[in-house]
Amino acid sequence: MSNVSNNARLTTITLGLLVVVGMACAALLVRWSDALRPPVDPNIIEESLYLNGKTAKRISLGFNGLFADWYWMRALQYVGKKRLSSGDLSLDNLGQLNIKLLAPMLDTATTLDPQFLEPYEYAAIVLPAIDVQQAIRLTQKGIDANPNAWRLYHHLGYIYWREGEYQMASEMYGRGAKVPGAPTWMEAMKAKMIADGGSRSTAREIYMRMYEQSTEQQVREMARKRLLQLDSLDQRDALRKLFAAYKARTGKCPDSWRELGPVFRAVRIPVDQSGAPLDPSGTPYVLKPGACEVELDPQKTEVPLD
Amino acid sequence: MEATASFAQSNSHTQTRQGSFWRIAAIARNAFREAVRDRVLYNLVLFVLLLTAASIFIGELSGGQERKVIVDLGLSAMLLFGMFIAIFVGVGLVYKEIERRTIYAVFSKPVGRGEFLVGKYLGLCLTLLVNVVVMGVGVSLALVYVSRGWDPLIPTIWPAVLMIYMELMLLTAIALLFSSFSSPALSALLTFLIFIIGHFSADLKSFAVSMGSTSARWVFTGLYYLLPNLANYSFITPAAHGQAPSVGFVFATALYAFVYITVVLAAATLVFSRRNFK
Repeated sequence: MSNVSNNARLTTITLGLLVVVGMACAALLVRWSDALRPPVDPNIIEESLYLNGKTAKRISLGFNGLFADWYWMRALQYVGKKRLSSGDLSLDNLGQLNIKLLAPMLDTATTLDPQFLEPYEYAAIVLPAIDVQQAIRLTQKGIDANPNAWRLYHHLGYIYWREGEYQMASEMYGRGAKVPGAPTWMEAMKAKMIADGGSRSTAREIYMRMYEQSTEQQVREMARKRLLQLDSLDQRDALRKLFAAYKARTGKCPDSWRELGPVFRAVRIPVDQSGAPLDPSGTPYVLKPGACEVELDPQKTEVPLD
Repeated sequence: MEATASFAQSNSHTQTRQGSFWRIAAIARNAFREAVRDRVLYNLVLFVLLLTAASIFIGELSGGQERKVIVDLGLSAMLLFGMFIAIFVGVGLVYKEIERRTIYAVFSKPVGRGEFLVGKYLGLCLTLLVNVVVMGVGVSLALVYVSRGWDPLIPTIWPAVLMIYMELMLLTAIALLFSSFSSPALSALLTFLIFIIGHFSADLKSFAVSMGSTSARWVFTGLYYLLPNLANYSFITPAAHGQAPSVGFVFATALYAFVYITVVLAAATLVFSRRNFK
Protein backbone atom coordinates (compact mmCIF):
# COMPACT_ATOMS: atom_id res chain seq x y z
CA MET A 1 0.00 0.00 0.00
CA SER A 2 2.83 2.33 0.98
CA ASN A 3 4.68 1.35 -2.21
CA VAL A 4 1.71 2.34 -4.32
CA SER A 5 1.48 5.68 -2.54
CA ASN A 6 5.23 6.28 -2.98
CA ASN A 7 4.99 5.47 -6.67
CA ALA A 8 2.09 7.89 -7.09
CA ARG A 9 4.05 10.64 -5.34
CA LEU A 10 7.12 9.92 -7.47
CA THR A 11 5.04 10.12 -10.63
CA THR A 12 3.54 13.45 -9.53
CA ILE A 13 6.95 14.92 -8.73
CA THR A 14 8.44 13.63 -12.00
CA LEU A 15 5.59 15.03 -14.09
CA GLY A 16 5.68 18.35 -12.19
CA LEU A 17 9.42 18.63 -12.75
CA LEU A 18 8.95 17.72 -16.40
CA VAL A 19 6.42 20.56 -16.83
CA VAL A 20 8.64 23.15 -15.11
CA VAL A 21 11.90 22.07 -16.75
CA GLY A 22 10.20 21.61 -20.12
CA MET A 23 8.73 25.13 -20.01
CA ALA A 24 12.09 26.58 -19.04
CA CYS A 25 13.74 24.72 -21.94
CA ALA A 26 11.03 25.93 -24.31
CA ALA A 27 11.60 29.53 -23.19
CA LEU A 28 15.36 29.16 -23.74
CA LEU A 29 14.79 27.62 -27.17
CA VAL A 30 12.51 30.51 -28.16
CA ARG A 31 15.20 32.99 -27.16
CA TRP A 32 17.78 31.02 -29.10
CA SER A 33 15.64 30.83 -32.24
CA ASP A 34 14.79 34.57 -31.92
CA ALA A 35 18.51 35.32 -31.88
CA LEU A 36 19.12 33.12 -34.91
CA ARG A 37 16.24 34.51 -36.95
CA PRO A 38 17.48 36.80 -39.74
CA PRO A 39 16.26 40.41 -39.48
CA VAL A 40 13.07 41.05 -41.41
CA ASP A 41 13.26 43.49 -44.29
CA PRO A 42 11.12 46.49 -43.21
CA ASN A 43 10.02 46.94 -46.83
CA ILE A 44 8.38 43.52 -46.66
CA ILE A 45 6.68 43.81 -43.27
CA GLU A 46 5.43 47.31 -43.94
CA GLU A 47 3.99 46.74 -47.38
CA SER A 48 0.42 47.49 -46.44
CA LEU A 49 -2.33 46.63 -44.00
CA TYR A 50 -4.10 43.34 -44.61
CA LEU A 51 -7.54 44.88 -44.40
CA ASN A 52 -8.90 48.19 -45.52
CA GLY A 53 -11.35 50.04 -43.30
CA LYS A 54 -14.49 48.93 -45.10
CA THR A 55 -13.57 45.24 -44.99
CA ALA A 56 -12.51 45.52 -41.35
CA LYS A 57 -15.85 47.12 -40.49
CA ARG A 58 -17.76 44.45 -42.36
CA ILE A 59 -16.09 41.57 -40.55
CA SER A 60 -16.08 43.24 -37.14
CA LEU A 61 -19.51 41.72 -36.24
CA GLY A 62 -20.53 44.54 -33.94
CA PHE A 63 -17.10 44.79 -32.31
CA ASN A 64 -16.14 47.73 -34.56
CA GLY A 65 -15.52 50.10 -31.63
CA LEU A 66 -13.03 47.67 -30.13
CA PHE A 67 -11.34 47.12 -33.50
CA ALA A 68 -11.12 50.92 -33.93
CA ASP A 69 -9.44 51.19 -30.53
CA TRP A 70 -6.98 48.47 -31.55
CA TYR A 71 -6.06 50.26 -34.80
CA TRP A 72 -5.72 53.54 -32.87
CA MET A 73 -3.40 52.03 -30.26
CA ARG A 74 -1.47 50.27 -33.02
CA ALA A 75 -1.01 53.62 -34.82
CA LEU A 76 0.29 55.22 -31.60
CA GLN A 77 2.73 52.35 -31.00
CA TYR A 78 3.81 52.41 -34.65
CA VAL A 79 4.71 56.12 -34.51
CA GLY A 80 6.11 55.84 -30.97
CA LYS A 81 8.45 52.99 -31.94
CA LYS A 82 9.76 54.92 -34.97
CA ARG A 83 10.27 58.07 -32.89
CA LEU A 84 12.13 56.16 -30.19
CA SER A 85 14.51 54.66 -32.74
CA SER A 86 15.31 58.00 -34.35
CA GLY A 87 15.76 60.48 -31.52
CA ASP A 88 13.41 63.07 -30.13
CA LEU A 89 11.63 64.38 -33.22
CA SER A 90 8.67 66.67 -32.78
CA LEU A 91 5.31 65.04 -33.47
CA ASP A 92 4.51 67.52 -36.24
CA ASN A 93 7.86 67.02 -37.96
CA LEU A 94 8.15 63.29 -38.64
CA GLY A 95 8.63 63.63 -42.41
CA GLN A 96 12.03 61.97 -42.32
CA LEU A 97 10.61 58.81 -40.72
CA ASN A 98 9.15 56.05 -42.88
CA ILE A 99 5.64 55.97 -41.42
CA LYS A 100 3.64 55.27 -44.53
CA LEU A 101 1.27 52.91 -42.68
CA LEU A 102 0.04 55.65 -40.38
CA ALA A 103 -2.53 57.09 -42.80
CA PRO A 104 -4.12 53.68 -43.60
CA MET A 105 -4.20 52.79 -39.88
CA LEU A 106 -5.93 56.03 -38.95
CA ASP A 107 -8.23 55.67 -41.95
CA THR A 108 -9.22 52.17 -40.81
CA ALA A 109 -9.74 53.31 -37.20
CA THR A 110 -12.03 56.12 -38.34
CA THR A 111 -13.93 53.93 -40.81
CA LEU A 112 -14.60 51.46 -38.00
CA ASP A 113 -15.68 54.23 -35.64
CA PRO A 114 -16.38 57.49 -37.54
CA GLN A 115 -17.16 59.35 -34.30
CA PHE A 116 -13.76 58.62 -32.79
CA LEU A 117 -12.27 62.15 -32.99
CA GLU A 118 -8.74 61.55 -31.68
CA PRO A 119 -7.43 59.73 -34.82
CA TYR A 120 -8.57 62.68 -36.96
CA GLU A 121 -6.71 65.06 -34.64
CA TYR A 122 -3.61 62.88 -34.74
CA ALA A 123 -3.81 62.77 -38.55
CA ALA A 124 -4.07 66.58 -38.68
CA ILE A 125 -0.96 66.99 -36.52
CA VAL A 126 1.31 64.20 -37.75
CA LEU A 127 0.39 63.63 -41.39
CA PRO A 128 1.00 67.11 -42.89
CA ALA A 129 4.78 66.52 -42.67
CA ILE A 130 4.38 63.18 -44.45
CA ASP A 131 1.48 63.53 -46.86
CA VAL A 132 -0.51 66.72 -46.58
CA GLN A 133 -3.23 65.52 -48.97
CA GLN A 134 -3.91 62.49 -46.76
CA ALA A 135 -4.03 64.79 -43.72
CA ILE A 136 -6.62 67.01 -45.43
CA ARG A 137 -8.61 64.02 -46.68
CA LEU A 138 -8.79 62.35 -43.26
CA THR A 139 -9.70 65.55 -41.42
CA GLN A 140 -12.35 66.34 -44.04
CA LYS A 141 -13.65 62.77 -43.60
CA GLY A 142 -13.97 63.53 -39.89
CA ILE A 143 -15.90 66.72 -40.60
CA ASP A 144 -18.25 64.86 -42.97
CA ALA A 145 -18.94 62.24 -40.28
CA ASN A 146 -19.10 64.75 -37.39
CA PRO A 147 -20.30 68.09 -38.78
CA ASN A 148 -20.87 69.41 -35.27
CA ALA A 149 -17.31 68.78 -34.05
CA TRP A 150 -15.83 72.29 -34.26
CA ARG A 151 -12.41 70.97 -33.18
CA LEU A 152 -12.04 69.26 -36.56
CA TYR A 153 -12.43 72.61 -38.37
CA HIS A 154 -9.70 73.94 -36.07
CA HIS A 155 -7.46 71.04 -37.14
CA LEU A 156 -8.20 71.51 -40.83
CA GLY A 157 -7.48 75.24 -40.44
CA TYR A 158 -4.20 74.28 -38.77
CA ILE A 159 -3.19 72.09 -41.74
CA TYR A 160 -3.88 74.90 -44.22
CA TRP A 161 -2.08 77.38 -41.93
CA ARG A 162 0.97 75.11 -41.88
CA GLU A 163 0.91 75.04 -45.68
CA GLY A 164 0.75 78.84 -45.79
CA GLU A 165 -2.76 78.77 -47.28
CA TYR A 166 -4.15 81.43 -44.95
CA GLN A 167 -7.26 82.08 -47.04
CA MET A 168 -8.32 78.43 -46.78
CA ALA A 169 -7.35 78.34 -43.11
CA SER A 170 -9.51 81.40 -42.49
CA GLU A 171 -12.40 79.75 -44.32
CA MET A 172 -12.12 76.63 -42.13
CA TYR A 173 -12.07 78.66 -38.91
CA GLY A 174 -15.05 80.61 -40.22
CA ARG A 175 -16.99 77.41 -40.92
CA GLY A 176 -16.05 76.00 -37.54
CA ALA A 177 -17.14 79.19 -35.80
CA LYS A 178 -20.68 78.64 -37.10
CA VAL A 179 -20.96 75.22 -35.44
CA PRO A 180 -23.18 75.41 -32.34
CA GLY A 181 -21.05 75.42 -29.21
CA ALA A 182 -17.87 76.56 -30.99
CA PRO A 183 -15.76 78.92 -28.85
CA THR A 184 -15.64 82.60 -29.78
CA TRP A 185 -11.91 82.50 -30.57
CA MET A 186 -12.70 80.48 -33.73
CA GLU A 187 -14.29 83.62 -35.23
CA ALA A 188 -11.30 85.68 -34.09
CA MET A 189 -8.94 83.17 -35.73
CA LYS A 190 -10.82 83.55 -38.99
CA ALA A 191 -9.94 87.24 -39.11
CA LYS A 192 -6.42 86.73 -37.75
CA MET A 193 -5.57 84.24 -40.50
CA ILE A 194 -6.36 86.75 -43.23
CA ALA A 195 -4.77 89.76 -41.53
CA ASP A 196 -1.77 88.14 -39.88
CA GLY A 197 -1.54 84.49 -41.01
CA GLY A 198 2.23 84.13 -40.99
CA SER A 199 2.92 85.91 -37.71
CA ARG A 200 4.19 84.47 -34.45
CA SER A 201 1.14 85.71 -32.59
CA THR A 202 -1.09 83.62 -34.89
CA ALA A 203 1.15 80.61 -34.35
CA ARG A 204 1.06 81.20 -30.59
CA GLU A 205 -2.75 81.42 -30.65
CA ILE A 206 -3.02 78.16 -32.64
CA TYR A 207 -0.67 76.19 -30.39
CA MET A 208 -2.19 77.68 -27.25
CA ARG A 209 -5.68 76.53 -28.34
CA MET A 210 -4.32 73.14 -29.35
CA TYR A 211 -2.70 72.74 -25.94
CA GLU A 212 -5.91 73.73 -24.18
CA GLN A 213 -8.30 71.64 -26.27
CA SER A 214 -6.46 68.41 -27.01
CA THR A 215 -7.03 65.32 -24.90
CA GLU A 216 -4.12 63.50 -26.52
CA GLN A 217 -0.98 63.76 -24.40
CA GLN A 218 1.46 63.67 -27.35
CA VAL A 219 -0.40 66.49 -29.12
CA ARG A 220 -0.41 68.61 -25.96
CA GLU A 221 3.30 67.99 -25.51
CA MET A 222 3.98 69.00 -29.11
CA ALA A 223 1.93 72.20 -28.66
CA ARG A 224 3.75 72.98 -25.38
CA LYS A 225 7.14 72.63 -27.07
CA ARG A 226 6.04 74.80 -30.01
CA LEU A 227 4.97 77.47 -27.50
CA LEU A 228 8.40 77.23 -25.85
CA GLN A 229 9.94 77.64 -29.29
CA LEU A 230 7.88 80.76 -30.01
CA ASP A 231 8.85 82.26 -26.64
CA SER A 232 12.48 81.42 -27.37
CA LEU A 233 12.31 83.12 -30.79
CA ASP A 234 10.99 86.26 -29.08
CA GLN A 235 13.72 86.03 -26.44
CA ARG A 236 16.45 85.60 -29.02
CA ASP A 237 15.17 88.62 -30.97
CA ALA A 238 15.27 90.64 -27.75
CA LEU A 239 18.82 89.42 -27.00
CA ARG A 240 19.96 90.38 -30.50
CA LYS A 241 18.61 93.88 -29.89
CA LEU A 242 20.62 94.01 -26.67
CA PHE A 243 23.72 92.87 -28.57
CA ALA A 244 23.16 95.61 -31.15
CA ALA A 245 22.81 98.23 -28.40
CA TYR A 246 25.94 96.88 -26.67
CA LYS A 247 27.86 96.98 -29.93
CA ALA A 248 26.70 100.53 -30.62
CA ARG A 249 27.91 101.53 -27.14
CA THR A 250 31.21 99.63 -26.99
CA GLY A 251 32.02 99.08 -30.68
CA LYS A 252 32.27 95.27 -30.28
CA CYS A 253 30.13 92.22 -29.66
CA PRO A 254 30.15 90.76 -26.10
CA ASP A 255 32.65 87.94 -25.48
CA SER A 256 30.86 86.59 -22.41
CA TRP A 257 27.44 86.83 -20.82
CA ARG A 258 28.92 88.59 -17.76
CA GLU A 259 29.44 91.71 -19.89
CA LEU A 260 25.67 91.94 -20.32
CA GLY A 261 24.86 91.15 -16.67
CA PRO A 262 23.73 94.67 -15.69
CA VAL A 263 21.47 94.86 -18.78
CA PHE A 264 19.85 91.50 -18.02
CA ARG A 265 19.19 92.61 -14.45
CA ALA A 266 17.69 95.86 -15.70
CA VAL A 267 15.31 94.14 -18.14
CA ARG A 268 14.71 91.24 -15.70
CA ILE A 269 15.91 88.42 -17.94
CA PRO A 270 16.41 85.27 -15.80
CA VAL A 271 20.03 84.10 -15.78
CA ASP A 272 21.90 81.12 -14.32
CA GLN A 273 24.91 81.22 -11.95
CA SER A 274 27.33 81.89 -14.82
CA GLY A 275 25.24 84.87 -15.90
CA ALA A 276 23.88 83.16 -19.06
CA PRO A 277 20.23 83.96 -19.86
CA LEU A 278 17.88 81.01 -19.69
CA ASP A 279 15.68 79.81 -22.52
CA PRO A 280 11.97 79.05 -21.79
CA SER A 281 12.85 75.47 -20.80
CA GLY A 282 15.35 76.77 -18.21
CA THR A 283 18.51 75.86 -20.19
CA PRO A 284 21.22 78.54 -20.57
CA TYR A 285 21.56 80.05 -24.05
CA VAL A 286 24.89 79.69 -25.84
CA LEU A 287 26.71 82.90 -26.80
CA LYS A 288 28.80 82.88 -29.96
CA PRO A 289 31.72 85.01 -28.74
CA GLY A 290 32.36 88.11 -30.81
CA ALA A 291 29.57 87.30 -33.27
CA CYS A 292 26.59 89.05 -31.61
CA GLU A 293 24.66 85.82 -31.99
CA VAL A 294 22.83 83.61 -29.51
CA GLU A 295 21.91 79.95 -29.91
CA LEU A 296 20.03 77.24 -28.07
CA ASP A 297 22.08 74.52 -26.39
CA PRO A 298 21.22 71.56 -28.66
CA GLN A 299 22.34 68.99 -26.06
CA LYS A 300 20.29 70.25 -23.13
CA THR A 301 17.38 72.40 -24.26
CA GLU A 302 13.81 71.20 -24.46
CA VAL A 303 13.01 73.85 -27.08
CA PRO A 304 12.65 72.32 -30.58
CA LEU A 305 15.55 73.22 -32.83
CA ASP A 306 13.73 72.88 -36.19
CA MET B 1 -75.98 23.53 -14.89
CA GLU B 2 -74.28 24.72 -18.08
CA ALA B 3 -72.93 27.76 -16.23
CA THR B 4 -71.51 25.52 -13.51
CA ALA B 5 -69.80 23.31 -16.12
CA SER B 6 -68.38 26.34 -17.90
CA PHE B 7 -67.10 27.76 -14.60
CA ALA B 8 -65.51 24.42 -13.69
CA GLN B 9 -63.83 24.22 -17.11
CA SER B 10 -62.54 27.79 -16.85
CA ASN B 11 -61.27 27.10 -13.34
CA SER B 12 -59.52 23.97 -14.55
CA HIS B 13 -57.85 25.96 -17.42
CA THR B 14 -56.67 28.59 -14.93
CA GLN B 15 -55.25 25.91 -12.65
CA THR B 16 -53.52 24.25 -15.63
CA ARG B 17 -52.01 27.58 -16.67
CA GLN B 18 -50.85 28.23 -13.11
CA GLY B 19 -49.44 24.69 -12.92
CA SER B 20 -47.66 25.18 -16.21
CA PHE B 21 -46.11 28.42 -14.95
CA TRP B 22 -44.76 26.71 -11.82
CA ARG B 23 -43.42 23.76 -13.80
CA ILE B 24 -41.58 26.11 -16.18
CA ALA B 25 -40.27 28.10 -13.21
CA ALA B 26 -39.01 24.90 -11.54
CA ILE B 27 -37.20 23.79 -14.71
CA ALA B 28 -35.75 27.29 -15.18
CA ARG B 29 -34.52 27.33 -11.59
CA ASN B 30 -32.86 23.96 -12.06
CA ALA B 31 -31.28 25.02 -15.37
CA PHE B 32 -29.84 28.09 -13.63
CA ARG B 33 -28.52 25.99 -10.75
CA GLU B 34 -26.99 23.54 -13.21
CA ALA B 35 -25.23 26.39 -15.03
CA VAL B 36 -23.87 27.70 -11.75
CA ARG B 37 -22.76 24.17 -10.75
CA ASP B 38 -21.05 23.83 -14.14
CA ARG B 39 -19.00 26.93 -13.23
CA VAL B 40 -20.40 28.92 -16.16
CA LEU B 41 -20.20 32.10 -14.10
CA TYR B 42 -16.45 31.58 -13.65
CA ASN B 43 -16.07 33.59 -16.87
CA LEU B 44 -16.76 36.61 -14.64
CA VAL B 45 -13.36 36.12 -12.98
CA LEU B 46 -11.68 36.33 -16.40
CA PHE B 47 -13.77 39.38 -17.21
CA VAL B 48 -12.79 41.14 -13.99
CA LEU B 49 -9.11 40.37 -14.61
CA LEU B 50 -9.42 41.72 -18.17
CA LEU B 51 -11.06 44.95 -17.03
CA THR B 52 -8.65 45.44 -14.15
CA ALA B 53 -5.67 45.03 -16.47
CA ALA B 54 -7.30 47.36 -19.02
CA SER B 55 -8.02 50.02 -16.39
CA ILE B 56 -4.41 50.01 -15.25
CA PHE B 57 -2.56 49.67 -18.55
CA ILE B 58 -4.81 51.06 -21.30
CA GLY B 59 -4.17 54.66 -20.29
CA GLU B 60 -0.54 54.19 -21.32
CA LEU B 61 -1.39 52.65 -24.66
CA SER B 62 -4.43 54.55 -25.83
CA GLY B 63 -3.21 58.13 -25.68
CA GLY B 64 -5.72 59.24 -23.06
CA GLN B 65 -8.65 57.30 -24.51
CA GLU B 66 -8.97 54.83 -21.64
CA ARG B 67 -12.66 55.58 -20.97
CA LYS B 68 -13.67 54.80 -24.53
CA VAL B 69 -11.45 51.72 -24.63
CA ILE B 70 -12.84 50.42 -21.33
CA VAL B 71 -16.42 50.73 -22.58
CA ASP B 72 -15.56 49.14 -25.95
CA LEU B 73 -13.54 46.37 -24.34
CA GLY B 74 -15.97 45.73 -21.48
CA LEU B 75 -19.12 45.62 -23.60
CA SER B 76 -17.43 43.64 -26.39
CA ALA B 77 -16.19 41.10 -23.84
CA MET B 78 -19.74 40.99 -22.43
CA LEU B 79 -21.12 40.15 -25.87
CA LEU B 80 -18.34 37.68 -26.67
CA PHE B 81 -18.48 35.79 -23.35
CA GLY B 82 -22.27 35.87 -23.44
CA MET B 83 -22.25 34.53 -27.00
CA PHE B 84 -20.03 31.60 -25.97
CA ILE B 85 -22.27 30.83 -23.00
CA ALA B 86 -25.43 31.12 -25.11
CA ILE B 87 -24.01 28.83 -27.78
CA PHE B 88 -22.08 26.23 -25.82
CA VAL B 89 -24.39 25.98 -22.82
CA GLY B 90 -27.49 26.51 -24.98
CA VAL B 91 -26.75 23.60 -27.30
CA GLY B 92 -26.12 21.29 -24.36
CA LEU B 93 -29.31 22.09 -22.46
CA VAL B 94 -31.43 19.43 -24.11
CA TYR B 95 -28.65 17.14 -25.27
CA LYS B 96 -27.26 16.56 -21.77
CA GLU B 97 -30.68 15.54 -20.47
CA ILE B 98 -31.04 13.02 -23.29
CA GLU B 99 -27.46 11.77 -22.93
CA ARG B 100 -27.81 11.23 -19.16
CA ARG B 101 -31.30 9.82 -19.70
CA THR B 102 -32.65 12.20 -17.04
CA ILE B 103 -35.17 13.36 -19.64
CA TYR B 104 -37.17 10.16 -18.98
CA ALA B 105 -37.49 11.12 -15.33
CA VAL B 106 -38.64 14.60 -16.30
CA PHE B 107 -41.23 13.41 -18.81
CA SER B 108 -42.53 10.73 -16.46
CA LYS B 109 -43.96 13.66 -14.54
CA PRO B 110 -46.76 15.87 -15.91
CA VAL B 111 -44.35 18.15 -17.81
CA GLY B 112 -44.98 19.07 -21.43
CA ARG B 113 -42.13 19.17 -23.93
CA GLY B 114 -42.82 22.83 -24.61
CA GLU B 115 -42.70 23.57 -20.89
CA PHE B 116 -39.40 21.74 -20.64
CA LEU B 117 -37.86 23.76 -23.49
CA VAL B 118 -39.17 27.12 -22.27
CA GLY B 119 -38.00 26.33 -18.71
CA LYS B 120 -34.53 25.43 -19.93
CA TYR B 121 -34.47 28.58 -22.07
CA LEU B 122 -35.49 30.85 -19.21
CA GLY B 123 -32.94 29.21 -16.90
CA LEU B 124 -30.12 30.03 -19.28
CA CYS B 125 -31.51 33.54 -19.83
CA LEU B 126 -31.38 34.02 -16.05
CA THR B 127 -27.73 32.89 -16.04
CA LEU B 128 -26.98 35.35 -18.83
CA LEU B 129 -28.83 38.11 -16.99
CA VAL B 130 -26.68 37.61 -13.89
CA ASN B 131 -23.64 37.55 -16.15
CA VAL B 132 -24.40 40.81 -18.00
CA VAL B 133 -25.52 42.66 -14.87
CA VAL B 134 -22.33 41.75 -13.00
CA MET B 135 -20.27 42.67 -16.07
CA GLY B 136 -22.16 45.96 -16.46
CA VAL B 137 -21.38 46.79 -12.82
CA GLY B 138 -17.74 45.83 -13.50
CA VAL B 139 -17.52 48.22 -16.48
CA SER B 140 -19.15 50.99 -14.41
CA LEU B 141 -16.64 50.45 -11.58
CA ALA B 142 -13.74 50.48 -14.04
CA LEU B 143 -15.03 53.83 -15.37
CA VAL B 144 -15.26 55.17 -11.83
CA TYR B 145 -11.66 54.04 -11.27
CA VAL B 146 -10.19 55.67 -14.40
CA SER B 147 -12.24 58.87 -13.96
CA ARG B 148 -11.48 59.03 -10.23
CA GLY B 149 -15.21 59.44 -9.55
CA TRP B 150 -18.52 59.59 -11.38
CA ASP B 151 -18.27 59.22 -15.16
CA PRO B 152 -20.99 60.49 -17.54
CA LEU B 153 -20.56 57.32 -19.65
CA ILE B 154 -21.93 55.13 -16.84
CA PRO B 155 -25.65 55.81 -17.50
CA THR B 156 -25.18 55.47 -21.27
CA ILE B 157 -23.68 51.98 -21.13
CA TRP B 158 -26.77 50.40 -19.57
CA PRO B 159 -29.03 50.72 -22.64
CA ALA B 160 -26.19 49.06 -24.61
CA VAL B 161 -26.04 46.32 -21.95
CA LEU B 162 -29.78 45.79 -22.39
CA MET B 163 -29.34 45.52 -26.18
CA ILE B 164 -26.54 42.98 -25.69
CA TYR B 165 -28.77 40.96 -23.37
CA MET B 166 -31.57 40.93 -25.94
CA GLU B 167 -29.12 39.73 -28.59
CA LEU B 168 -27.96 36.95 -26.27
CA MET B 169 -31.58 35.94 -25.59
CA LEU B 170 -32.11 35.64 -29.34
CA LEU B 171 -28.96 33.56 -29.75
CA THR B 172 -29.94 31.28 -26.87
CA ALA B 173 -33.31 30.61 -28.50
CA ILE B 174 -31.60 29.79 -31.79
CA ALA B 175 -29.11 27.49 -30.05
CA LEU B 176 -32.02 25.71 -28.38
CA LEU B 177 -33.83 25.33 -31.70
CA PHE B 178 -30.82 23.69 -33.34
CA SER B 179 -30.14 21.50 -30.32
CA SER B 180 -33.71 20.21 -30.42
CA PHE B 181 -32.92 18.19 -33.56
CA SER B 182 -29.16 18.21 -34.03
CA SER B 183 -25.90 17.21 -32.33
CA PRO B 184 -24.22 19.76 -30.00
CA ALA B 185 -21.25 20.32 -32.33
CA LEU B 186 -23.42 20.97 -35.36
CA SER B 187 -25.83 23.11 -33.30
CA ALA B 188 -22.94 25.24 -32.01
CA LEU B 189 -21.60 25.69 -35.53
CA LEU B 190 -25.01 26.60 -36.96
CA THR B 191 -25.72 29.05 -34.12
CA PHE B 192 -22.33 30.69 -34.60
CA LEU B 193 -23.04 31.03 -38.33
CA ILE B 194 -26.39 32.63 -37.52
CA PHE B 195 -24.55 35.06 -35.22
CA ILE B 196 -22.23 36.02 -38.08
CA ILE B 197 -24.96 36.26 -40.72
CA GLY B 198 -27.18 38.16 -38.27
CA HIS B 199 -24.57 40.90 -38.18
CA PHE B 200 -24.49 41.03 -41.98
CA SER B 201 -28.22 41.63 -42.28
CA ALA B 202 -27.67 45.11 -43.78
CA ASP B 203 -25.59 43.48 -46.51
CA LEU B 204 -28.34 40.95 -47.21
CA LYS B 205 -30.74 43.82 -47.74
CA SER B 206 -28.38 45.69 -50.05
CA PHE B 207 -27.66 42.45 -51.97
CA ALA B 208 -31.40 42.06 -52.45
CA VAL B 209 -31.68 45.60 -53.80
CA SER B 210 -28.69 45.29 -56.12
CA MET B 211 -29.60 41.86 -57.56
CA GLY B 212 -30.62 41.85 -61.20
CA SER B 213 -32.66 38.66 -61.18
CA THR B 214 -36.05 38.72 -59.49
CA SER B 215 -35.65 35.26 -57.96
CA ALA B 216 -32.28 36.19 -56.39
CA ARG B 217 -33.85 39.38 -55.07
CA TRP B 218 -36.63 37.32 -53.51
CA VAL B 219 -34.14 34.89 -51.96
CA PHE B 220 -32.06 37.64 -50.35
CA THR B 221 -35.12 39.58 -49.23
CA GLY B 222 -36.49 36.36 -47.74
CA LEU B 223 -33.20 35.68 -45.94
CA TYR B 224 -33.14 39.23 -44.64
CA TYR B 225 -36.53 38.80 -42.98
CA LEU B 226 -36.01 35.15 -42.00
CA LEU B 227 -32.66 35.49 -40.23
CA PRO B 228 -32.41 37.48 -37.00
CA ASN B 229 -31.29 41.07 -37.47
CA LEU B 230 -28.57 41.17 -34.85
CA ALA B 231 -26.91 44.31 -36.25
CA ASN B 232 -29.69 46.34 -34.62
CA TYR B 233 -28.48 45.21 -31.21
CA SER B 234 -24.94 46.53 -31.74
CA PHE B 235 -24.89 49.66 -29.68
CA ILE B 236 -21.45 49.32 -28.13
CA THR B 237 -19.63 51.90 -30.27
CA PRO B 238 -22.20 54.72 -29.78
CA ALA B 239 -22.29 53.91 -26.04
CA ALA B 240 -18.53 54.51 -25.88
CA HIS B 241 -19.23 58.02 -27.23
CA GLY B 242 -21.90 58.66 -24.62
CA GLN B 243 -24.84 58.09 -26.98
CA ALA B 244 -27.88 56.11 -25.87
CA PRO B 245 -30.52 54.66 -28.22
CA SER B 246 -33.95 56.29 -28.24
CA VAL B 247 -36.70 54.73 -26.14
CA GLY B 248 -38.66 54.00 -29.33
CA PHE B 249 -35.72 52.12 -30.83
CA VAL B 250 -35.18 50.06 -27.66
CA PHE B 251 -38.90 49.27 -27.54
CA ALA B 252 -38.96 48.25 -31.22
CA THR B 253 -35.91 45.98 -30.87
CA ALA B 254 -37.29 44.49 -27.64
CA LEU B 255 -40.59 43.75 -29.38
CA TYR B 256 -38.72 42.22 -32.34
CA ALA B 257 -36.67 40.05 -29.95
CA PHE B 258 -39.84 38.94 -28.13
CA VAL B 259 -41.64 38.01 -31.35
CA TYR B 260 -38.59 36.29 -32.88
CA ILE B 261 -37.87 34.33 -29.68
CA THR B 262 -41.52 33.25 -29.48
CA VAL B 263 -41.39 32.02 -33.07
CA VAL B 264 -38.08 30.19 -32.57
CA LEU B 265 -39.22 28.55 -29.31
CA ALA B 266 -42.50 27.53 -30.94
CA ALA B 267 -40.55 25.94 -33.82
CA ALA B 268 -38.19 24.24 -31.32
CA THR B 269 -41.19 22.87 -29.39
CA LEU B 270 -42.73 21.65 -32.64
CA VAL B 271 -39.56 19.76 -33.57
CA PHE B 272 -38.87 18.56 -30.03
CA SER B 273 -42.40 17.27 -29.48
CA ARG B 274 -42.01 15.00 -32.52
CA ARG B 275 -38.68 13.67 -31.36
CA ASN B 276 -38.48 10.02 -30.34
CA PHE B 277 -36.11 9.34 -27.41
CA LYS B 278 -36.14 5.55 -27.73
